[in-house]
Amino acid sequence: MMHRPILLGGILLAVLGSLCPFLWFVLTSFKSQIQVEAIPPTWWPDGSLVFYASALFEHRLLHYVRNSVTVAGSATVIALIAATPAAYALARLRLPGKTWILGGLLCVAMFPPIVIAGPVWQILERLGGLNTHWGLVLPYVSLTLPLAVWILTTFFHELPIELEEAARIDGCTTWQALYKIMLPLAAPGLFTAAILTFIYAWNEFFFALLILTDPERQTLPVGIALFQGEFIMPWGEIAAASVIATLPLIILVLLFQRGIINGLSAGAVKK
Amino acid sequence: MAGLELQHIEKTFGRTRVLHDVSFEVSDGKFFVLLGPSGCGKSTLLRIIAGLEPQTRGSVSFGGQCVDDVPPSDRDIAMVFQHYALYPHLTVKENLAFGLKMRREPKSVIEARIAETAALLEIYDLLDRKPKELSGGQQQRVAMGRAIVRKPKLFLFDEPLSNLDARLRASMRVELKKLHRRLGTTMVYVTHDQSEAMTLGHAVVVMNRGRIQQIGRPEQIYHEPANPFVAGFIGNPPMNLFEGSYRLDQRQLEFLMGDLTFRFPFQAHERIGAGTGTATLGVRPEDVTFEPEGPGHVASTGTIDLVENLGNDSIVHIMVKGQSLMARTSFGFRQHAGESITIYVKNFHLFINDNRIPLPSL
Repeated sequence: MMHRPILLGGILLAVLGSLCPFLWFVLTSFKSQIQVEAIPPTWWPDGSLVFYASALFEHRLLHYVRNSVTVAGSATVIALIAATPAAYALARLRLPGKTWILGGLLCVAMFPPIVIAGPVWQILERLGGLNTHWGLVLPYVSLTLPLAVWILTTFFHELPIELEEAARIDGCTTWQALYKIMLPLAAPGLFTAAILTFIYAWNEFFFALLILTDPERQTLPVGIALFQGEFIMPWGEIAAASVIATLPLIILVLLFQRGIINGLSAGAVKK
Repeated sequence: MAGLELQHIEKTFGRTRVLHDVSFEVSDGKFFVLLGPSGCGKSTLLRIIAGLEPQTRGSVSFGGQCVDDVPPSDRDIAMVFQHYALYPHLTVKENLAFGLKMRREPKSVIEARIAETAALLEIYDLLDRKPKELSGGQQQRVAMGRAIVRKPKLFLFDEPLSNLDARLRASMRVELKKLHRRLGTTMVYVTHDQSEAMTLGHAVVVMNRGRIQQIGRPEQIYHEPANPFVAGFIGNPPMNLFEGSYRLDQRQLEFLMGDLTFRFPFQAHERIGAGTGTATLGVRPEDVTFEPEGPGHVASTGTIDLVENLGNDSIVHIMVKGQSLMARTSFGFRQHAGESITIYVKNFHLFINDNRIPLPSL
């Protein structure tokens, strides 16, 4: 019984701690210019939408949103298409050195991205990928693949192999068994991998800044960061833009949460 | 058509050999049971027949045609899995239709077959449900239906009843037998449950540690077990087995155990010559009686250790000259633990060098 208040306090602290900056941004985005610069700071905004209008129309926020959707969307789709067969093979086949492959993937995922920044830039320059969306999608895919493969491998591993065997006896080839039976059942894993990949690509700043110098192609994080001029720091607009940039992620997570939680494989096998 | 033949099948996983030179033949339309304790290799054998697992050596043929290089999808077989393996994201109807769709059967045929199967298994009301909405028994029926609907040449069953409760298992057993009579298709059935094997099989293969111990009709396996393993595995309660030694001369065979000696009129022959060695004597609990039923029955006295009352019969545990023995009596056994009792044995099984030695009936 003694633990309860302590646990609750801990949870509250964690939630508040991580929410605070976001709350501040949301509050700021609804303030007016005077409120933003007021000293001492005011807590409650007067509900002005000026900053939203300015972010959307003066700073052409939607154009960055479009770029981000393109890049993050393609990175997610490509990463999943590549990760699925890899994960399936790792989960099902008796491959020599399988644990080494999985361990290697994990190691690669641990590397700080800056390590590969130089080579990536050089490769893209050779290939003519600088300032293109595919030039950004490419490193995103290679950076998110390890995680996607890991997640999917775990999921495939947990699906009963009998289902696949039943499918093969029912007339499926290995590929048909994969996409007709195993993939629908691994949907929660696919959702999870997709969301994590998408969030990564959506938020990624460093490579986006490095590879895309043309404002026409820049993604949201870079776009928002470049709101600031030489002498002004448009806090309000940045706050409003950040809220708009965060909304799709929140909606996505809420939507897919159901898919992730719904254990689609329930009832497959008598436990 | 589809008789099944296995020739010299061997299977190794890494360094472990799980099947040793397994050969047998199943003639068309028979119900064939692979029986053995868990880990004896029976499921692996079934998976080899299905093509899900490649054998290390040997070959499998259906109807005289070698199918070693034929993938499971083209072997025209259906398999019912221990855990049913219903496709959880599909309804019962879609589960049944799946194999037919994969084989590009026309829609009208699929509908007709599903209707036929659903009627046969009485699962018509379940067609629109998902597997997780079904009880264990219903899932079992659907799994069966998914196999039947395809009209395969060969059915493979991997302990299909082991997840059901005792009552349901008994009734499904009967249904399965009826089903086989009705369909007339060859069935290979894996189980560790001897009562399933005895009631269902035309022929039973008893396996242990990756080797075939005996192949025969159920009654043959029960009455003439080939070795002590089969003798101890088949029958409930199991056969009483006693380790001892034998001495064989011109006129008789003696089995010696402690200060007990059993003599059997016996002629030495090519399988065992005159001499001595270790031997195992077996007595079925059913062959122990408390009244003499024939002139030649061997009698002895002992003390009752425990009486297990099973309703219409009782298992009586008796200590006879330092050896524990189980007897099965039909009904109305009135004696209690601690009392002394005279027993009569009407039939013995003798094994020398792990082989059955046929004894003349007493």
